[in-house]
Parts: sequence; structure tokens; C-alpha cells
Amino acid sequence: MTLLGIPILTFVTFFPLAGILVVLLLPGKRGKAIKLAANIVTGLELLATLFLLTGFNGASGEMQFLERAVWIPSFHVQYLLGIDGISLLLVLLTSLLTFLATLSSWAAIKDRLKEYYIFLLLLEVGMIGVFVSLDLVLFYVFWEVMLVPMYFLIGIWGGERKLYAAIKFFLYTLFGSVMMLVGILVMYFHYGTFDYMAILQSGSVLPGTLQMWVFLAFALGFAIKVPMFPFHTWLPDAHVEAPTAGSVILAGVLLKMGTYGFLRFSLPFFPDASRKFVPLMIVLALISIVYGALVSLMQKDMKKLIAYSSVSHMGFVMLGLFTFSPLAVKGAVLQMINHGISTGALFLIVGVLYERRHTRLISEFGGLSSRMPVYAAVFLIISMSSIGLPGLNGFIGEFMILMGAWTVNWVWAAIAATGIVLGAGYMLWLYQRVMFGKLTNPANESLKDLTLREFATFLPLIILAFWIGIMPKPFLDVLDKPVEKIVRIVNPGYYETAAQAPVRLPAPVPAKAGSSEAR
Amino acid sequence: MNSAAILSELRYLAPEIAMLAVAAAAMFVHLFFPRRGRRWAGYVAFAGIAATCGVLLLTPQSSGVIMAGTLVADRFAVFLKLTALVSALLTIGLSFRFFDVEGGEPGEIYYLLPLALVGIMAAVSSADLITTYVAFEVFAIPSYILAGVFKKERRSGEAGVKYFFLGSLSSALMLLGMALVFGLTGETSYAVISRSLQDINTHLALTGMILFFSGLFFKAALVPFHQWAPDVYEGAPTPLVVFLSTAPKAAVFAILIRSMITIFTGFRAEWSLIFQGIALVTMFWGNLAALIQTNIKRMMAYSAIAQAGYIVIGLAAWGELAQTAVLFYLFIYVFMNAAAFGLILLVRKGGTFGETIDDMRGLARRSPGAAAAILVVLLSLTGIPPTAGFMGKYFLFAAAVEKGMYLVVVAGALNSVISLFYYFKIGRAMFMEAPEASAAVSAPARRSAWAEIVIGVSAVIVLIWGLFPSLLSDFAASSVLIRF
Repeated sequence: MTLLGIPILTFVTFFPLAGILVVLLLPGKRGKAIKLAANIVTGLELLATLFLLTGFNGASGEMQFLERAVWIPSFHVQYLLGIDGISLLLVLLTSLLTFLATLSSWAAIKDRLKEYYIFLLLLEVGMIGVFVSLDLVLFYVFWEVMLVPMYFLIGIWGGERKLYAAIKFFLYTLFGSVMMLVGILVMYFHYGTFDYMAILQSGSVLPGTLQMWVFLAFALGFAIKVPMFPFHTWLPDAHVEAPTAGSVILAGVLLKMGTYGFLRFSLPFFPDASRKFVPLMIVLALISIVYGALVSLMQKDMKKLIAYSSVSHMGFVMLGLFTFSPLAVKGAVLQMINHGISTGALFLIVGVLYERRHTRLISEFGGLSSRMPVYAAVFLIISMSSIGLPGLNGFIGEFMILMGAWTVNWVWAAIAATGIVLGAGYMLWLYQRVMFGKLTNPANESLKDLTLREFATFLPLIILAFWIGIMPKPFLDVLDKPVEKIVRIVNPGYYETAAQAPVRLPAPVPAKAGSSEAR
Repeated sequence: MNSAAILSELRYLAPEIAMLAVAAAAMFVHLFFPRRGRRWAGYVAFAGIAATCGVLLLTPQSSGVIMAGTLVADRFAVFLKLTALVSALLTIGLSFRFFDVEGGEPGEIYYLLPLALVGIMAAVSSADLITTYVAFEVFAIPSYILAGVFKKERRSGEAGVKYFFLGSLSSALMLLGMALVFGLTGETSYAVISRSLQDINTHLALTGMILFFSGLFFKAALVPFHQWAPDVYEGAPTPLVVFLSTAPKAAVFAILIRSMITIFTGFRAEWSLIFQGIALVTMFWGNLAALIQTNIKRMMAYSAIAQAGYIVIGLAAWGELAQTAVLFYLFIYVFMNAAAFGLILLVRKGGTFGETIDDMRGLARRSPGAAAAILVVLLSLTGIPPTAGFMGKYFLFAAAVEKGMYLVVVAGALNSVISLFYYFKIGRAMFMEAPEASAAVSAPARRSAWAEIVIGVSAVIVLIWGLFPSLLSDFAASSVLIRF
């Protein structure tokens, strides 16, 4: 499939570069033109990624829209792109959130517009590239390319401690990724290729101890990105100091790269090591869930609260992935999308207040619902989505993960469930302190409700939250086969026992969730 | 061997002869045109060296030794000679800018540089102990003068003297090692020694190797033989530091590789271990020391040391891939270093060039193009894609992983992270910090754009080779030295 004569995946990956060129050519003084250009480009990019849907075969577990070219012949490095259902959803999430982040920057960013939008567009190239590349070196290149614009977004347009936060983010993630690079090289000398599909088709795996070390090398890169406890300390700093758009993209997309990496590469490449490290990964995931939620409870800064809630939510995703049950893995992917939607929206919500009041301290607010009714409604829906209220997106993902975890080990599910309770606690408490009560702070008297542009940024996210909450089937359908493929490698026992005793399968998800796992 | 045969073999030496002619021409221009001669000597040298690059590529290569077994003119030599020539071209470009602003242009540098190049080219080609030594001295003597040539600056004189004393020491070490090897075998030709050293008292031969290598490590400023480098680099005129920190390394690595596979081929296990050790301490020491510098020139001096440490990984991981990686990295190292030191020529503070990191504040607003180019080079130095620096490290690490040297690879990877911290102090100053309120810091009164050109060209090249590494790596791969 092509778009304007260019193979579609190449097009969606590099289209933002065209935007960079346009922004570069516009004179720096024409602020409005620059903004408009960036918004149009990210909007077109969103349409281009949606165009992928027209040719995508959701019933297939194979990589689609494959593009293959030789890049570094002497080293068997290829320019190899392709997507399956998992990547498709993440690409769509990326283009949507980038578009909304760009839109949300309209009034928030006032100086050095040109550089800002260049970095934002460059970031999009890196992010999409990560999700569509199937050659390990190419993947690594995109993975690293993305760090640079994010570093500058935090460091130039960030808050008070931006310099510290920016370099901390860069150092942490680079540390993880260089270890991954070493792992990638070790794999090359075993398989003689960087081709993802060829490695899986070879059917061989690295020998025992080596496999464990390489698993750890990859896991370090991914775990820092997720971030899992104890590698999470860069996250609160980066999230809090980043400008709103930066936080949205950090939480919405960048964190997903870690979990995507685990699912796409770690599980199928290192099945034995993955199984061996289940206890470690699950314990870290559970600590992330509970610890993240507990720390969220005691935050005074709204952004910090949401940042730590991300640690907790991403812990859920990790729990789902390492149960190796198709149900929970699908739930985990869906939860990645859900977290992108709800946390992205939450950062936008905080951004709205920050733009008006230039503070994010919870104690500065209170009783805002009387002044900003539309805002209050949006905030409420998104909070509920983050908590996991049935009927909204968060519920489906968490429920699937918990169910999958329950069938493997009920203790995991029980501990993780406390995270949901705590999650409801910190979100509702936050909402109560900011929106309800009497409006006591005179500075809040004149707060204006959402503008049309701001509302437009929330609308797609709210629609998606309801859509996934009520009708998750189309999303889960595209995940079926790709997830099955991965689970078959890492947990072949699952399908054997399932074939023998189909009755052992968990009861269908309640009708409201709309997803039937009966097989 | 009769004289007619030697004469006919002179055609292989066309590049060296051409370079001598360039030196002579530049000297005459400098001597006979007193008013404008200095700069014209520079133009002559620049054009001459550029032309010599062409001569180098057109000169036929010989597969065996020439000139009675003292020299080799193979593709391997061509690659490394080209590396040194490019380094000299970038140096001259930056010199124009430097002396345009500072004044007091010493015309000597424009014929001392070609003379030093003759030495480097001969060393790269040498296949005989005596030739190696003489070639190194031919390089060394002009380079001592080059370090001390800027008379206005006291530090420059100090740098010249220091370089002279420590350089002599390193030559002495090298000579001592050669003497041991010669004493054991009674031969000076690499190829002949390699046959006779096999069954000779290994302890003495090993001592000889270590002394010989120590001298070379000295010249390449590898830890623990590096102490002179930061002082000399800090004191010497900035553009010449580009030359002193890159060009000799082409010769050193050529000699190391040639001697590793001939004279010392029996000590493969020993030298691999030595190189692993040197790589480890050089990377860590260079990067950690760079962390605490506030003067950019000193910081880049340590960065140059650390970068050489990465290249040594390729020596340790002996093999065709490793050698390709070494050649690749040496070549891009020239461009990265030129831009890294060239950065200093962008900012003027008081009567000197801005040398502290703080002086770089707000550069992105004053000259966004130059700042963007420097950013690309910084990424490359750190080893972040899509730059040539990433590809270079990637090849080096791959070569080491192939040989199972995981320790050095992990250390190299860690060092990339350490280096990020100090390289991006500059990135941070340029892009994130506001320019100083006082007008003390400014762009130099412009009379030429040479610094911008050198930095821009380096950035573009580093990007192109990062996106399409095959353009260079295929050339490097076809130049590896498998045997004599």
C-alpha cells in the first residue's frame, strides 16, 4: 500500500520531517504560521495513520505493509518496516497524542516556537519509527533518536528544575539503551541477522546463561523506559518539569515503548529467560503498582501525583505481560492504550490549570467546579477512566489483566487489586480537593472555563475512553493473533492445556465489557 | 636491489613527494612575499594538500614492500594517509579563522604542517624499524614547533616545550623497544623479524614489545601515557590542536596494526590483553576527567583521549571487522575533533576566544545554524544515532562482541553514558541557558567564516555517514590489512 506514491509505513514515519522543513523555512517571527503549520502536519499525520486501517487485515497475526531494503550491506542491517495489530494500535495512539499535544501547545508555548515545533515533530518521527521498525538496529536508531528532542523539550520549555530533569532523563534512558545495544550485538553474532521475523522463524534461542544475560540487557533498557520500580526515579522529575505537551507524550507514548519492547522482543526472543525471571518481574511489577499508588496519595503537586500514578498503571501492564496468558497480555496492550488516553488527558487537564494560574499545587485550588463546569465534567470522566470505572476504558484493561493474573496465581491478582483501590483513592481525593468545596482562593475567582480549542483536544480522548469501555471488541480483535503468536513462543504450555481442557478457561467477561474470551 | 628498481618504485611515493613540494612551495611564498605571503602560503598549503589527496587516490598501490623493504604502499596506508591529510585541511581552515581574529599569523605553520604530514605519511607506510623511527621524528620536530608557534600566548610556548620533552621521552621509549627487538633478531624489517622472532627468548621480546608500544601509546596520548596531552592541547593554538590530536594517531594506529600482525604476531594473547586494559583505563580516565573540566579546551582534550580509548577496543578485538571499525572511527574522529575544538573559535570574550562552557550560553540564539551543527557533532561524539559516531562505536563494539570481550564492550557502553553528561553541558549552555546580560561575550568580529565552514562540513559529513555508513565503511573494509 502506498500513499502519494511512497510506501505507507515510510510515509507515516517520515512525514513529520516534511513538517520540520516547512517550519524551518518559515521566518521565526511568523509565530502563528509556524503553529498552524505544525498543527496541520500532525493532523495530516493522524489522517495518514488512520489510512493504515483501510488496508490492514485485522484477522492476521503476520507483519503487514512490509518494506524491506538493504541499509548496511556489510552488516546485514536492513531498512525493514512492518506492523501487526499491536504496533498498529500504538502507532495510532502516537499520532493522535502528538496531534493533541501540538494543539495543546498553541497558547502554552510563547517563545522559541520554531525550535519547539521542530523538536516535537522530530519526536514524532522517532516514536513512530520505534513502533514500525522490525530490524533491531533500525529499532535502536529510532529508539535513541527520540531521546534528543525530548531532552530539549524538557530542558528548554520546562519548569524550574528543567536542566536537572532533562539531563537525568537523558542519562537514565541512554544508560538503559546502550546496554540493550550490547544485547542486540550479541544476538547478531548468534543469528547472523537483525531481522525480527527471521530470528523468530529460526526457531532457535540463545543458549541458557547467555540468554539470561541478554534478557537482562534488554530488560534494563525497557524497564527504565516503562519505568519499573526501582528504575522509576527519572520519571517524576521529567514529567513534572516537562511542558504539558512533553508530559503528554512522555506518559502517553514514551513509557509504552518500554512495555512494547518487552512484548515485542523480550518475550519471544528469550522465552526461557522470560519464564525464569517471572518471579522477579512480577515482584517488581507489584511493587510498582502499590508503591506508585501510595506515593501518589501523598503528593501535593498535581503533575507529580499523575506521574507516580503512571508508575502504578504501568506496573499493571507489566503484570499482564508476565503472566503469559493471552487474556492478560491482550489486556496489557489495551491498558497501554488506555493509559495513553487517560494519563495523556490528565496531563492536559493539569496543563489547562497551569496555563491559567501558573501553579500546580493542589492546595492552591478548590471549588473550581462552580467556575468551570465543562472542565469539571471533562476532569470527572477522565478521572473515572483512570480509576477503571466500568463502562470506561480503564476497566477493561485492568479487568483482563487481573483475570489473567488470577488464573496463574491469585496472590498476584489480590495484591494488584489493592492498587486499583488506592488508585480510586488518590484520584477521587485529587478531584475532591481541586473541584469541590468552597472556592476559597481569590485567585481562582476569575478562572475561565475551557475554550473551544481546549475542549477539542479533550473530545477525541473522551470518545475513545467511552468507545473502548463499551465496545472494546474491535481493539481486542486486532490483538488476538499477534498476541497468540507471542504467547505460543513464550508459554507453549498454555495452548496445550487449553486444548485438552477448554472448560478451565475463565468465565466470559461481563457483558458490559463486551469481550468474550471463550474459545 | 639495484638503483634502477628503486627509481622505478619512486612512483609509489608520489604523494610523499607531492607533499614535500607543497611544503617547499608554501615556504617560498612565505619567504618572498613579505606582505601578503603568510596568508598566501596558507592558501598554497591548503590547495596543495587537497591536491595531494587526489594524488594519493590516483597513485597505484603495490602489494609488496618497496624501497628495499622499508615501505609499503598498500590501500591500508592510503586510507590512513587520507585521514591525516583531511585533518590537516580542517586544521588549516580553522587556522585562517583563528589568526584572522587574533592577528600575528605565523606563516611557518603552513609549511611545517606539510612537513609533519610527510613524516606521518612515511610512518603509515613504514615496514622497517628504522624507517618507522625516522618517520616519527620527521613528524615530531615540526609538531613541537607547531605547538609553541603562537608567540602572543605564553601558554603556547609552555605547550611547545612540554611537548618537546615528553615527545622525546616517548621516542626514547620506542627506540629502546626497537633496540631490544633488533638485538634479538639482528633485523629491522617487520616481515623478516616476524619470521625470526618466533623462537626467541620470549621474555625479552615481550619487554621489547611493551616498550615499543609504550612509546606509541605516548604519541597517541593513551592512558597512562597521556599526562602531557591536556596541557599541550590547552596551550597550543586551538586549530593546531586539531592536527596534533588526530593526525599522529593515524600513524600510531598504522604502526600498531602493522607490527601486531608481523613482528608481534606470536604475542596475540598478550597484546590483546594489553589493548583491553589500555582501552578500559583510557575510556574511563578520559571521560571521568572530562566531567570535571570547566574549560572547553581541556574538556575536549580529555574527550579526545577518551575517544582514542574506544578505538583501542578495535585493536584488542583483532580481526577484519575490528580493523574496519578502527579505520572508520579514526576517519570520523578527525571530523568530530575538528568541530569540537572549532567550537571555541565561535565565541569571543574580552581579548580571547571564549574557553569556558559558560561562554557558550545562548549561542543557539546568536547563531542557530552553528549551534545546530555543533549539536550534531556532540551527538556523534557521544555515539547517538543517526550520526557517524554511533556507527563507529557500533562497529567497534560489534567487533569486540564477536570476540566475546563483553567487559570492554559494557565499559565502552557505560562510557558513552558518562560522556553524554559533559558533552551536553555544552548542548545545555548553547540551547537552554540565556546569554549573559553583559556584552562581554560576542561573536568574533567576522572577517571569515572558516570556523563555521569547518563545523558545518563536519556536521554534514557526520550525519551522512551516520545515515549511510556504507559509504565509508566499504572503503574502510577494502583497506584492511590482512597481511603484508
